[in-house]
Amino acid sequence: MLRAALRSLLQHKLRLALTLVAVVVGVAFVAGTYIFTDSLKRSFDALFTAPQPDVVVAATSGLDTGGSGGGGGGGGASAGDVTPTMPQAYVDTVAKVAGVAAAYGVVSGDGAIVIGKDGKVVGQDGPPARGTTWVPDPSITALSVSSGRGPSGPHEVMLLESTAAAAGLGVGDTVRIETPGGRVDATVTGLVTRGISGSDGSTLAVFDLPTAQKYLLQTTGRITSISVKAAPGTSQDVLAARIGAALPKTVKIQTGAQRTADIAERLQTAFSFINIFLLTFAFIALFVAIFLIFNTFSMLVAQRTRELALLRAVGATRAQVRRSVLAEATVLGLLAAVLGVLGGVVVSQGLRLLLKGFGADLPSGPLVIEPRTIVVSLVVGVLVTLVSAYVPARRAAIVPPVAAMRDEISLPVRSLRVRTVVGAVLLLLAVVLARQGLASTDDGTRASQLVGLSALCALVAVIALAPMIGRGVLSVLGAPFSGSAVGRLAKENGRRNPRRTAATASALAIGLALMTAIGVIAASTKASVASVIDTTIGADYVVFGAKFQPFSPDVYRALVGTPGTSTVTYVRQVPIKVGSSSSVLTGVQTDKIASVVDLQMLQGSVADVGLGDVLVDDTTAADLNLKVGQKVDATFVNGRSSVTLVGVYKSAGPFTGWISSIDTLMSIGARELDTAVYVKVAPGADSTAVHDELVRRLAPFPTVKLQDQASLKDQINGQFDRVFGFIYALIALAVIVAFLGIINTLALSVHERRREVGLLRAVGTSRPQIRRMVVLEAVLISLFGAALGVVLGLVYGALLQKVLEPQGVTVLAVPGGQIVGFLLLGVVGGLVAALWPAVTASRLDVLRAIASE
Amino acid sequence: MTPAARAAALTKVYGSGETRVTALDSVDVEIETGRFTAIMGPSGSGKSTLMHCLAGLDSITSGQVWIGETELSALSDKKLTQLRRDAVGFVFQAFNLVPTLSALENITLPLDIAGRKPDQEWLDTVIDTVGLRDRLRHRPSELSGGQQQRVACARALASRPTIVFADEPTGNLDSRSGAEVLGFLRRSVDEFGQTIVMVTHDPGAASYADRVLFLADGRIVDEMASPSADRVLERMKAFEAARA
Repeated sequence: MLRAALRSLLQHKLRLALTLVAVVVGVAFVAGTYIFTDSLKRSFDALFTAPQPDVVVAATSGLDTGGSGGGGGGGGASAGDVTPTMPQAYVDTVAKVAGVAAAYGVVSGDGAIVIGKDGKVVGQDGPPARGTTWVPDPSITALSVSSGRGPSGPHEVMLLESTAAAAGLGVGDTVRIETPGGRVDATVTGLVTRGISGSDGSTLAVFDLPTAQKYLLQTTGRITSISVKAAPGTSQDVLAARIGAALPKTVKIQTGAQRTADIAERLQTAFSFINIFLLTFAFIALFVAIFLIFNTFSMLVAQRTRELALLRAVGATRAQVRRSVLAEATVLGLLAAVLGVLGGVVVSQGLRLLLKGFGADLPSGPLVIEPRTIVVSLVVGVLVTLVSAYVPARRAAIVPPVAAMRDEISLPVRSLRVRTVVGAVLLLLAVVLARQGLASTDDGTRASQLVGLSALCALVAVIALAPMIGRGVLSVLGAPFSGSAVGRLAKENGRRNPRRTAATASALAIGLALMTAIGVIAASTKASVASVIDTTIGADYVVFGAKFQPFSPDVYRALVGTPGTSTVTYVRQVPIKVGSSSSVLTGVQTDKIASVVDLQMLQGSVADVGLGDVLVDDTTAADLNLKVGQKVDATFVNGRSSVTLVGVYKSAGPFTGWISSIDTLMSIGARELDTAVYVKVAPGADSTAVHDELVRRLAPFPTVKLQDQASLKDQINGQFDRVFGFIYALIALAVIVAFLGIINTLALSVHERRREVGLLRAVGTSRPQIRRMVVLEAVLISLFGAALGVVLGLVYGALLQKVLEPQGVTVLAVPGGQIVGFLLLGVVGGLVAALWPAVTASRLDVLRAIASE
Repeated sequence: MTPAARAAALTKVYGSGETRVTALDSVDVEIETGRFTAIMGPSGSGKSTLMHCLAGLDSITSGQVWIGETELSALSDKKLTQLRRDAVGFVFQAFNLVPTLSALENITLPLDIAGRKPDQEWLDTVIDTVGLRDRLRHRPSELSGGQQQRVACARALASRPTIVFADEPTGNLDSRSGAEVLGFLRRSVDEFGQTIVMVTHDPGAASYADRVLFLADGRIVDEMASPSADRVLERMKAFEAARA
């Protein structure tokens, strides 16, 4: 029986090739994802083999969250306010501990913005601009010198190799660096590498300790950490314990091994997130492939009815027939899986390029193909193929032996009743779940789970009901073409096998439903952002720092009083923690802020905010159960403070969290650094002249950006577009598989109907007419699939928008052009998919077609 | 009067070298207009090939074929298709109908393909003659074998072709249905002056024709006017004996 199975595989190789491609694409996506993340992981191995301090002593604060602090509303907090510090005297204390060979004070932080040769900020806005301290002992620093020497004194700096390259600078050149402590002009004394290739986009400047203290912390006598080298024979653990005994409990002490484990764990979390994210799309593509495989095997079985009946007639049991079909599927699945692993190598490189295209330059390293990757790929490939072929195999087994003797054979047309019932029940369930989801009142987690489940039910329901819907929809879609015989034939061909048409269309519907839903969410998010900007920001211009770094108050001083402006005001932010809730405290000029930002006060007024008073957004107020007039204990980097809540504002505008006066902010120890400056043009002023004057006044400050409302929206939209574009690119694979499915279904249909085509040709149908007939059928099927997907996507896009309302997606926007585009994609895709089958059909030899079995 | 179809020195060779088979060996034949011609012969005699070549379904190796005034060997596929659509009607042994179209749609298929309006009066005449008025909305799968063949006959006549080719039209039918179909073909010749060429191996079917051509080994070996089933059978037996 196995030989019979293999033979039949070879006989139908062309038709199976497309099925093979579908499985290969799906498996390659899975394998590629694993290869990609494994390789990425390997490229980070250098991090673990690089030299490390034996013990690191780090400063902590009551705020210590491990992260880099909240940065809501387009502003972050400055390094000194975020990064905890400790007295430099601890270095000497540590140095005296027995077993310490050397101890170096280190200051590290964000905000060392390197200005390139062209006068522009190096690097994108997203990744940080880091600054750190040179540790002159190469055995305990991960940085290794690739050329030059370490920095010494306030006018020397080392740069990361990739930073220097992006800045267009080399050893010996003078570089300008903008820091929280002001401008540094320094000579590049050397270049360093971090042991891993590629770049996460961050930049790094390395100073000596006093320079780092002055510019990164704006202090003397304080540091952020101590790097310790152990004397020979002293273990890391013993040393850490001794140092811990010598220092106050407020510091955090970690051995090199612990740090490595920490980093490994963080990377592991990040990688498994990437892995799961990418695998999701791989499995969507595989799910779509199932339809294609199912269709192919169904049709192959139908075509081989007589052959299978003959096998039964000569004594093969049902189980043997079924096994022979499943054996075919296994061989096909194995072959596809093997090719898929090879394809995975290509896909992994494709993912890297895709991510690079979307702005992430990942470190490159050797290609890693773990045994796990191969096992998973083989299992997935074979399993998917077997599952899809199981139903056709069962159907093959019930072919009666007598069918071999019959002249005309057709498998019995099975009733669609079961599908209708299942579909109707699922649809009902989807509606109930969606209603419950929308009715649930918590933070949205439950709502999104219910709506997600509802979407899954609706998808399966649509797939189950598609054969029923299909007959009607195809009649309607085909109506414009019914005037011609060719149009009628195409329409009826699409309707004649509702299951097959439905399976083909469903495959396309899945991809397009996802695209449409994401399109709706993307458009709604952008529209919501735009509406927030329109309703809350009254300022005509906002000045932000590059890389969301705070900037010197000199910027405000330069802009205030610009002719033609009515208001110029600045805000400052520091991290704050109340109870267990970490957030930001924004200091505003209480007399000016109202004219540039509409805070949408629910209780109280911003003008009444005095020293020690705060406002909070309604979400935070509800979460912490706070009442106006209440005293609130807040923790800051530099200590604790008690403030009075005097008002609540709606959490829709540019700010979230806490708001106080600038005086209050300064009283808790914030530094003189601004996160944004808002500018309002006076009524009647020449806006072009004002703009030009603002640009002129900002010329000395390359690290800030002047944005009007339009460019602000553009910038935010651009960020969303990148994210959504990446997701589209991943879903596109599923859509490609679906179109492969259309090609395959049509090719098989044409083969099945070659007698009919022959008859049509004999009675005078021309070749172009046959081609039109096949193309039109494909277009109708794919338009049906696209329409199903778009409708489903629209419904769930709109539902998701409702669910995301508490997250700020308050406006429902339907991207009309995009949706027309998706439908057009259906038409054009169907057209292209039909080309090959159409040409094949039109070239069928009339006599052979009539005479064929 | 011009013959409805004509072949001169028609030769058809399949394959080459060792496998070379001469299916038709320099056949000269004229199909008279308005008459019912049957082509008979044993299996492999080339009778189906002759019909396919006369109908423009198959290419020829050498010689010439005319339908009416048109010489076929010079025609492109496009022109040939148009000729089949407008001047030729077909009735095959099986798979005559498009399963997705109703009986009526199948009857008007060649006209619909050509984008022409059917002559309603003529269509009614044809439909009434085949007796399918109450079956027009049915799909082929809802019709009996005999009814399907009658639909096929109606289709062949609907466009008033120069000539109708029928390839074993009763081969799959029981004798009663077969007689109905043959009776209908006969009437279309007698009442409408239709030219019909029918390939068959059934002497009974051949007896409906005005003239029988006997084919053997790719050559026309004999012909018979006003045949009866018995005489045709005798003639066939004689050939068998001569070959043996």
